Amino acid sequence: MEALYDQYSRRAFGLAYRILGDGPSAEDVVQEAFLILWRQADRLDPARGKVSSFLMTVVHHKAIDLLRGRRGETRRDSLDLPALAQDEADMLEGVAESQVRDAVSNALQSLPEEQRQPIELAYFKGLTHVQIAESLAVPLGTVKSRLRLGLGKMRSALEGRVR
Amino acid sequence: MKCKEVEELAGAYALDALPAETLREVREHLESCQQHPEIAGLRAAALSLAAAAPGMEPPPGLKTRLMDEIRQETARAAEGRPREIDGSWLRRYVGSAFRPYALAGALAIAVAALIGWNVYLQTSGDGGQDVAIVRALTDSGAAQGRVLYFQEEGVAVITVEDLAPLPTDQTYQVWAISGDDVATGIGLFNTSASGEASTALEVDLTNAEFVAITIEPAGGSPQPTSDPVLMAQI
Repeated sequence: MEALYDQYSRRAFGLAYRILGDGPSAEDVVQEAFLILWRQADRLDPARGKVSSFLMTVVHHKAIDLLRGRRGETRRDSLDLPALAQDEADMLEGVAESQVRDAVSNALQSLPEEQRQPIELAYFKGLTHVQIAESLAVPLGTVKSRLRLGLGKMRSALEGRVR
Repeated sequence: MKCKEVEELAGAYALDALPAETLREVREHLESCQQHPEIAGLRAAALSLAAAAPGMEPPPGLKTRLMDEIRQETARAAEGRPREIDGSWLRRYVGSAFRPYALAGALAIAVAALIGWNVYLQTSGDGGQDVAIVRALTDSGAAQGRVLYFQEEGVAVITVEDLAPLPTDQTYQVWAISGDDVATGIGLFNTSASGEASTALEVDLTNAEFVAITIEPAGGSPQPTSDPVLMAQI
């Protein structure tokens, strides 16, 4: 577990901090996520490289829950951890961390601003598509299509990059 | 919700950016519709966004706290220290795995099950009113068991299938758990090589809300020390 912590704690803490914007809350989320990882360890298959995607998904979920809680919004259903542990590995598993970061950042930055912005509001701020439409003052239908188009472009860019 | 709406919402869904009610409708649709292969790819792209956050070294105290916590949990498990019966571990299982039979179905199964058993039990009146029968599923869904409780006789008959036989230093222990979460050990058993067992226990389950089966050290434990492998609501 110590080795896993050494390997992934920078990424986990970076993500939690990016979402929450304060160190103590980010620490709590990262500690909770690693404990969950430890308790679920027998369900994970390190050979398939699922550990990091599992961990980062838990960190994201917990951090967004905390953020939504701060805004007085209802918390989501708890994560289905066994199902998450059984999920297929994500498309970037097995790719070196620095390459992944570059590939994802480039893919995100290459999107038109009008697509990048709603994706960031959804992923890093936990806003729903309705809230995004309100905060950007654009029609809901436009937000739906920008989220879908932007993510689709990211997927194509990442597939081209890592395969 | 129609396919076209789900397609429109695919990006927001992949990013977990749907209000609860809409999310529920999309999930329901996806459970029964295979026409949206695009979503897996969008979901993968959304998951990759985690890498867009710059890495940051956490404070050193975090690692110490985490490893301390893990050591404590490991020590508790090694000591086999009884788990506090606070009800949360029960609710976790009851909420996810418990599926009550309708009464009629339960009685039919009780009759069918009894035919195959080498156990004679006196039933009263119409033979059905005193029978409580429930079935619980494990985490993995492989093992299953039944509890038949004959109230007048004060006998509970427990049968299990597909439950792995334990080594000699362990035993399955049956617990009656009251509404205020007090667990009382009511019997021990092991399963045959084929994973089956049936055991009749003299017990008063009047105040029991659940019957649970856990794996314990040989000879049993005063309180459950592991999560239930099978559980039923009485």
